[in-house]
Amino acid sequence: MTAVASAAPVSLLVRRPEGMLLKFLFWSAVVHAALFSVALVYAKLHEEAAIDLDQKPIKATLVRQGTPRDEKLLPRIEQAPPPPVEQKAPEPAPTPAPPKTVAPAPVAAPAPPKTKQAGEKKADARQQLFGAFDKMSKSKPDTTGAANGDPSGDSAVAEGEAYYAQLRAQITRFYDVSDTIPDSERIRLTAQVAVVISPAGQLERARLAKSSGNDLFDSAVMTAVKRAAPFAPPPTHLRDPLSKYGVVLQFRP
Amino acid sequence: MRTLFLSLLLCPLATLAQAPVIEISGANFRPLPIAVPLPQALNDGARSVAPEFDDAFFFDCSAAGIFQVLDRKSYLADSREGFSASTITFSRWADVGAEALVKVQLSVDGRDLRGEMRLFTVSSGKEELRLVHVVPLDQPRKLAHFFADALYKQFTREPGPFQSHLAFVRRVGKGKDVYLGDWDGKRATPVAQGNINLLPVVAPQGDAVAFTSYKSGKPALYIQRAGSAAVPLVTSGAMVTGASFSPDGRRIAYSMALGEGAQLFVADSNGGNPQPLTDTPYFINSSPTWSPDGKRLAFVSNRAGTPQLYVLTVANPKDVRRLTFQGNYNQTPDWSPRGDLIAFTARDERNAFDLFTVNVESGKVTRLTQDQGNNQEPSFSPNGRLIVFSSNRTGGNMLWVMTAEGQNQKMLPVEKGDYSTPDWGP
Repeated sequence: MTAVASAAPVSLLVRRPEGMLLKFLFWSAVVHAALFSVALVYAKLHEEAAIDLDQKPIKATLVRQGTPRDEKLLPRIEQAPPPPVEQKAPEPAPTPAPPKTVAPAPVAAPAPPKTKQAGEKKADARQQLFGAFDKMSKSKPDTTGAANGDPSGDSAVAEGEAYYAQLRAQITRFYDVSDTIPDSERIRLTAQVAVVISPAGQLERARLAKSSGNDLFDSAVMTAVKRAAPFAPPPTHLRDPLSKYGVVLQFRP
Repeated sequence: MRTLFLSLLLCPLATLAQAPVIEISGANFRPLPIAVPLPQALNDGARSVAPEFDDAFFFDCSAAGIFQVLDRKSYLADSREGFSASTITFSRWADVGAEALVKVQLSVDGRDLRGEMRLFTVSSGKEELRLVHVVPLDQPRKLAHFFADALYKQFTREPGPFQSHLAFVRRVGKGKDVYLGDWDGKRATPVAQGNINLLPVVAPQGDAVAFTSYKSGKPALYIQRAGSAAVPLVTSGAMVTGASFSPDGRRIAYSMALGEGAQLFVADSNGGNPQPLTDTPYFINSSPTWSPDGKRLAFVSNRAGTPQLYVLTVANPKDVRRLTFQGNYNQTPDWSPRGDLIAFTARDERNAFDLFTVNVESGKVTRLTQDQGNNQEPSFSPNGRLIVFSSNRTGGNMLWVMTAEGQNQKMLPVEKGDYSTPDWGP
C-alpha cells in the first residue's frame, strides 16, 4: 500500500489535479481571443489606405503648334460641337462587361514610354505624307515609345510603379460618372474598391471596400473596374502580392 | 515570450499592409443614360392626352442636360411590361445601356388627370422615387413639367427649371408681339400685340411681364401684371428701353437716351423715384442685368470705343469695372442666378454672333456656340443650369436651349416663326 502511494506521483497513469489544466486552457483561450480581436480591430481600422504609394502625378499637356491666338480675339472651341440640328439615335450601349482584348504587355522590361504624347495621329499622317523623305534619312531615331505605353505616360521610375500607373490609366478610361451627381456632393465622394488580380492579369475579385454613400458613384466605380479588366499581366515581383492581397483602388471624382 | 507575443500580434497586420492603395481621379462626367418609355394609359381618356404629356415630358428629360435619354427604338422590353419593380425585367433595360428607368402611368378620373411616376435604378432594380400628381384634364403638359422637375431634383437635389415660364418676342406681320408661355415656349399667350414690342422680362415673382413698346411712337417701358392690361411703367419724353427687375422685384433698371448718349437708371418697380447710375454724356450705356444679390449691375457700354460689358455697384455707381476685353462687339448680358457667370452675345472675327460666358471674378471668357449660324440673346434658367437663346442655324430665328456649358443644344418645340429676345423667368 505504501509502495503504491510512494509510486503515485511518478506514474503516468495517475490522474493529476484537474484545476491546473483547466486554468491553462482557459488562459490560453483568453489570450488567443484577445490577440485575435486586437488583430481584427486593427485590420478594420486600417482597412483603407494601408500604404499610400504617394506616386508622382503623371502629367501630360498638349502643346499647340503654330502661333498662339490673338488675346484680343474671342476664344474658339477647338473641338467643334456635334451638329445639334438632328440628334442621332444613341446606339444601344454595350453590355456591362464586353469581352475586351487588351494586348498583354511583355513583362520583360519594355522601353519606357518616354516621348509618346500628343499627336500620334498627326505623326501617322505625317509619316504617310513624308514617307518618301523619311526613307531618304533613315538614321532618325524611333520616337513613338513603347507599344504598350500610355499616351499620357512618363518614363516610369520603377517597374512596379509603372504597372500601377498602367492600371490607373486603364481604369480611368472607363471611369464614367453620371453628371447628375450635384457639385456639392462631388467634392467629398470617396470610394474604395479592393481588387485581386491574377498572374495573367484577370480580375479575380472586386469588392466595394468602402462605399462613398452615393449609389450612382459606387456603381460607376465598380463598373469602371469591371469594364477595364482584363489588365496586363503584372510584372513578376508583383504577381504574388497582387493575386494574394490585391490592391486597393481609391476613387475620387 | 514577449517577442513571441509581438510577432503573433503583428503577423496578420503585415499581410494587410501589403495591399497598396492607388488613387484614381479624373472621372469623365457624362449624362446619365436613362430610359423613358411611353406612358401607360389606363383608360380611354388617358390615351387621348398621353401623347401631349409625353411630348413635354420627353423633351424636358432630353433638354435637362443631365440625362442621355435613350432612343425608344432601341428598347427591348415588352411595351406592356409592368409598373412595379417585381414585374419589370431590368436586364432588358440594362441591355440597352439604361442606368435609370422612369415609368409613368396616366388615368383620367372625371375632369382630373392623374399621373403616377416611378423611377428605378436599373442595376439594382430598386425603386428610387414614386410620385402621384393630379392636374386638370386639359393640362397634361403641366403634369409633365411637374414630373420632370421632380426627376431633376431627385438626381441633382436642386430645383428643376421645367415649371418656369418663358417670355419672348415673335414677329407677326410687320409687328412684334410679346408672349408668355411655359419654359419650352408652349401654351404661350400674348402679352402685348400690335405695333412693335420688344425685350420682355418676367418679374422675379412671376406675376408680371415688363417690355419695351413703340406704341406711343417712341420706345417706352410697359408692364402687364397677371389678369390686367398693360400699363405704362416709364414713359419720359426720351427713348427708354430694356427694363430689368432686381432679384427682390422691388426695383427696375433701364436705359434712357439723353442727348447723344444713353444712361442707366434705377427706379422703384412702379417706375417712381428714378436715379441715374451712369454719367457718360457721349456714350451709350444699356442692357442692364442684376447680380443675384441685387448689389451689382452688369451692362453694355461703348465708353471705350466698342460695346463691352461693365459691372457697377448700385449703391456706389462710380465703382465701375470693365469685364470683357476680348472681341469688339459684346452685348445682351444676362447674369446667372448662380452668380458666377454672365452670358452674352459677341460678334467674332468672322462676323458671326455667338454666345459666350464670362466669369465675373476672373474675367475668363468661355465660348458656348460656334459655327452654327448666329446665336444671340442668352437667358439663364432660374436655377442657372440651362440657357435659352435665339439662333438662325436652321434658317429662321428660332428659340434654342442648351446647358450653361454650351452642351446639348436643342430647339424648343415651338411652331416655325421668327422669334427673338427670350427671357427665362420663374
